[in-house]
Amino acid sequence: MTTKPTRRPTYYEEIRQKGYSRRDFMKFCSIIGAYMGLEATGVAQVANALQKTSRVPVIWLHFQECTCCSESFIRSSHPIVADILLDKISLDYTETLMAASGHQAEAAKAKTMKDYHGEYILCVEGSVPTKDDGVYCCIGGKSAIQVLEEAAEGAKAIIAWGSCACNGCVQAAHPNPTTATPIHKLVHGKPLIKVPGCPPIGEVMAGVIIHMITFGRLPELDRVGRPKAFYSKRVHDTCYRRPFYDAGLFVETFDDENAQKGYCLYKVGCKGPMTYNACGVTKWNGGTSYPIQSGHGCFGCSEENFWDNGPIYRQMANFPGFGIESNADEIGMVAAGATAVGIAAHAIATNLRKNKLINNVIAEGKDAEKEL
Amino acid sequence: MGQRIVVDPVTRIEGHLRIEAEINNGKITDAYSAGTMVRLLEEILKGRDPRDAWAFVGRVCGVCTSVHSLASCRAVEDAIGVTIPPNAELVRNIMYCAQQMHDHVVHFYHLHALDWVDVVSALKADPKKTSEIAQSISNWPKSSPGYFSDLQKRLTKFVESGQLGIFANGYWGHPAYKLPPEVNLIGVAHYLEALEWQKEVVKIHAIFGGKNPHPNFLVGGMACAIGLDDVSGINAERLAYVHQLLQDAKEFIEQVYIPDLLAVAPYYLDWGAIGGGLGSYMSYGDLPTNGFADKSSMKFPAGVILNKDLSNIMEVDVRDDSEVQEFIHRSWYEYEGGDEKAGLHPWKGESKIKYTGPKPPYDHLNVEERYSFLKTPRWKGNAVEVGPLARVLIGYARGREDFKEVVDSTLAKLKVPVTALFSTLGRTAARGLESILVAQWGLEFYDQLINNLKNGDTRMANMEMFNPAKWDKTCQGVGYSEAPRGALAHWIVIEDQKIKNYQLVVPTTWNASPRDPNGKQSAYEAALMDTPVHDPEQPLEILRTIHSFDPCLACSVHVYDEEGKHISKVKVV
Amino acid sequence: MATHTATHKLRRVFVWELPVRFYHWLNALVIVALCATGYLIGSPPAFLSNAEASDQYLFGWIRFIHFVAAYLFFFNFLFRLYWGFVGNKYADWKNFIPTNRKFWSEMWEVIKIDIFLQKDKEHLSVGHNALAGFIYFLTFLAFLVQCITGFGLYASMSDWWFADMFVWVGGIFGGDFGLRNWHHAAMWFFIIFAMVHVYLVFYHDYVEGRGEISSMGGGWKFIEEEVFDKEKKKATH
Repeated sequence: MTTKPTRRPTYYEEIRQKGYSRRDFMKFCSIIGAYMGLEATGVAQVANALQKTSRVPVIWLHFQECTCCSESFIRSSHPIVADILLDKISLDYTETLMAASGHQAEAAKAKTMKDYHGEYILCVEGSVPTKDDGVYCCIGGKSAIQVLEEAAEGAKAIIAWGSCACNGCVQAAHPNPTTATPIHKLVHGKPLIKVPGCPPIGEVMAGVIIHMITFGRLPELDRVGRPKAFYSKRVHDTCYRRPFYDAGLFVETFDDENAQKGYCLYKVGCKGPMTYNACGVTKWNGGTSYPIQSGHGCFGCSEENFWDNGPIYRQMANFPGFGIESNADEIGMVAAGATAVGIAAHAIATNLRKNKLINNVIAEGKDAEKEL
Repeated sequence: MGQRIVVDPVTRIEGHLRIEAEINNGKITDAYSAGTMVRLLEEILKGRDPRDAWAFVGRVCGVCTSVHSLASCRAVEDAIGVTIPPNAELVRNIMYCAQQMHDHVVHFYHLHALDWVDVVSALKADPKKTSEIAQSISNWPKSSPGYFSDLQKRLTKFVESGQLGIFANGYWGHPAYKLPPEVNLIGVAHYLEALEWQKEVVKIHAIFGGKNPHPNFLVGGMACAIGLDDVSGINAERLAYVHQLLQDAKEFIEQVYIPDLLAVAPYYLDWGAIGGGLGSYMSYGDLPTNGFADKSSMKFPAGVILNKDLSNIMEVDVRDDSEVQEFIHRSWYEYEGGDEKAGLHPWKGESKIKYTGPKPPYDHLNVEERYSFLKTPRWKGNAVEVGPLARVLIGYARGREDFKEVVDSTLAKLKVPVTALFSTLGRTAARGLESILVAQWGLEFYDQLINNLKNGDTRMANMEMFNPAKWDKTCQGVGYSEAPRGALAHWIVIEDQKIKNYQLVVPTTWNASPRDPNGKQSAYEAALMDTPVHDPEQPLEILRTIHSFDPCLACSVHVYDEEGKHISKVKVV
Repeated sequence: MATHTATHKLRRVFVWELPVRFYHWLNALVIVALCATGYLIGSPPAFLSNAEASDQYLFGWIRFIHFVAAYLFFFNFLFRLYWGFVGNKYADWKNFIPTNRKFWSEMWEVIKIDIFLQKDKEHLSVGHNALAGFIYFLTFLAFLVQCITGFGLYASMSDWWFADMFVWVGGIFGGDFGLRNWHHAAMWFFIIFAMVHVYLVFYHDYVEGRGEISSMGGGWKFIEEEVFDKEKKKATH
């Protein structure tokens, strides 16, 4: 038996097929509404809900990525992913989990794009290499750019999963040899949610989808396009080790006495103070732990360009344009030293070059001194 | 000339794989495996702090997460000459076991099962009969008629919705599906249970490494300090959590995974003679019990078997530049030296990208020329297969009691000879068999960790050499591991405290690579030869064999030189 | 009594009004505080202490001082901008922004005499010379960068609408990583400026003897009678 996935008729479609008019349908809705004790304004909501009962179709594309986002997604503990897949969404295309391969897989995607034009959510995992006609990532004989453009056209909204899709992540680190490009630079004119992280926390990913399905709209985004619900606080500001930071108690090197006491990891390179994520609150893997709790500093995996803001084990980042081993303090100290040398040289030169002027002033002063 | 079929994308794998095959009279007569995505991580690594490398290469793969970070830390530790404390070795081993168990279960249920289990057929199952079968093969408590009947109702509702989601357009009803509806229903039930279970076992990574996917590692040991009397350290609560998770994982493997494997296998015994392929196998060895330097102490022994000869096991040395070499004759690269037939040892590894494939969109690759972003690694010139089957065969052939026990008892249960292991079914079975061992070993390592702590050894990291100023001006190292998908090694060259060269040769490169200069196929292509294909429109059989390797293609890594000439290298796990 | 050098009668000129002097010293104080605490925040020393975290708040205080000083710095800066429009001629904004060719030629003049030390010459200006004025203009820009990046970093910790006005800053600097890096780097501009500034004050006092250093105390500078006449002619011209 080969099952052709057909879109299930909604209640409204069913009632129309049975020969009732829209007017009858609306009347039915108001009766339902009356039974439920709704005000007249609630009738529209009932009608709306009955016209849209099918699960929200989702197309999930994979480009230059490592599948850690998909893996993280299936780690979600609330809701568990089996429930999301069976009850909440219809994940019609994802290379990681779908049964069909090859042209059957592509056909499933094409069908959703056609039947649910303007209604499906497009999830993108991975960056898109734009160099050399896009040959560095091809799927089904098409380049990633072509696949993305096709799928984005009829999408209701786009979710950029993970740092790859949001900022290019590791393959976009210097020198970005394949011109790995994040999604927001390639698709315009569609609502786009960025869910950065390498990977994002599973519960955060599920949370974004659940928000869209439960409330029927996009979550509120910050000015760079991240959901405020998960990315409005720094890891540092929500870290349980923060009191140690405020007290000035730091781990000096890994596995030292301070590390065993769980002091602040700031001095061994923790980037929590620059990183907006929910790690300190939601934590990872069903709230089990998060990097800092397990003794390693945060390295800022949800921040733009974090790979080039290293090195990991130093607090101050390398300063752009001054080579790999120079941070702002090193450059600053050299500059201050050079300034001091310059000042000393200038002072000596002043005494030589302006001796007449200086002597005049001194002589005038000394004369007066003697006269008094 | 037979019929040419293309499977692209191959789904339920990691990454982007394309298979082109020639079919004559219902059998595959030629096959080509192509990796179609690259990220060039090796170039990105150049000039960076070697202590950071684990984080970069960790991002090679999020499915077999942690294994690249482990190999990278070992490579750097080898180069700078640091020995990690026993506790760190044990923690890494426990994390390794967690990864292996997670990976194998997820592969079996979520990436491979749908090749054998017909989801739609499960709708016809009798819940009562299903319950009887389930209870006859395992003590797993979720096996009542009510449980299966509820599940069936949920599944029916799902299918009737018309929105089949991830099950859309599957090969349901294909004659190659042989399981009775009841076994199919058990398969679906455990598909969903495994989906829920898999998020638990990786919590071990979260406890020691802070998160999963991509837990944190540290050159010189692990960052998770032991603090038995502190709130933040690894204390009794954290350790008890690890123990619980290890026990639960072992239980799931023993009561769900293995019984399912043994219940499904008898219906597909013909696949014990299909998909054998090369018959040559290699393992680097892993899970040290006496420090990484002591190769003889490893739970997974190293070795090479050629041409199915289990009586002759050869040793493998990743440092010897005549052993592991990479070729680019059929890949989209060129070598600086210009010698198209020469192979390079990874410490001297270099190559330039030279894409000569068709411009997308395309229908076919030019398989007569170059056709993949993967390079072709060889061991002393031989194509070898790596992975669970290689590990199990080498452990078995070396006469290790633990391996012999699980292998022999399974062969006896299925009433098949040992030669049945050289097959698609053997590959899938071996993954289960080593999971049994790994589940036991995980608890052994845990006990050893507790013993160390009892004896007062709480060291978790050796920071003596953490300061780069102490390193030699130039040094090189190699770190290897047995990743879920097979032999993995990283080679690093450090100069002036920075990475000068970094090369990875990963399991899927061994298995999925294109032909070598002698025209010899690698494991995927060889295994597909002679596979029967019932309906070229529905290449289910191809998926069975390819999936039995558990492909993982994200790890494509390339290098550029400074003038902007593309010096590249493709790697795949 | 040996050969008498020429003696001068000095005229007292009121150069720096009280608000300017107040601004200057408050600015000096908060910049020292900001640099010191900022440096510590960037590279904390190993504080040796075994006390419970709940018993101390050392780093918290360091940050608190930084934030308080930052607010003072910012409003002090705003005040000085205001004074550039209502203050006396030496405080006027035109001292800082080159608006005509004369400004540029005076700058060149100062560079020749005071930087390259043309032999036995002196450049006279009662308030800021053109070069100094221009450098102060650049420091104002640095003030601006520092305030924007600083409040940008601070915004997510604050519920006050004022700090929240700066949430947009992170975006243009590539997140807090870039923001922090630039904020930290700009600190060195202040340190180096302060070194040069203090030196040149001593230089002018030493070479010219007109009360350069004390002028920021009482507001007075002292110029020779003939210089006064020349300046007056220039002013009334």
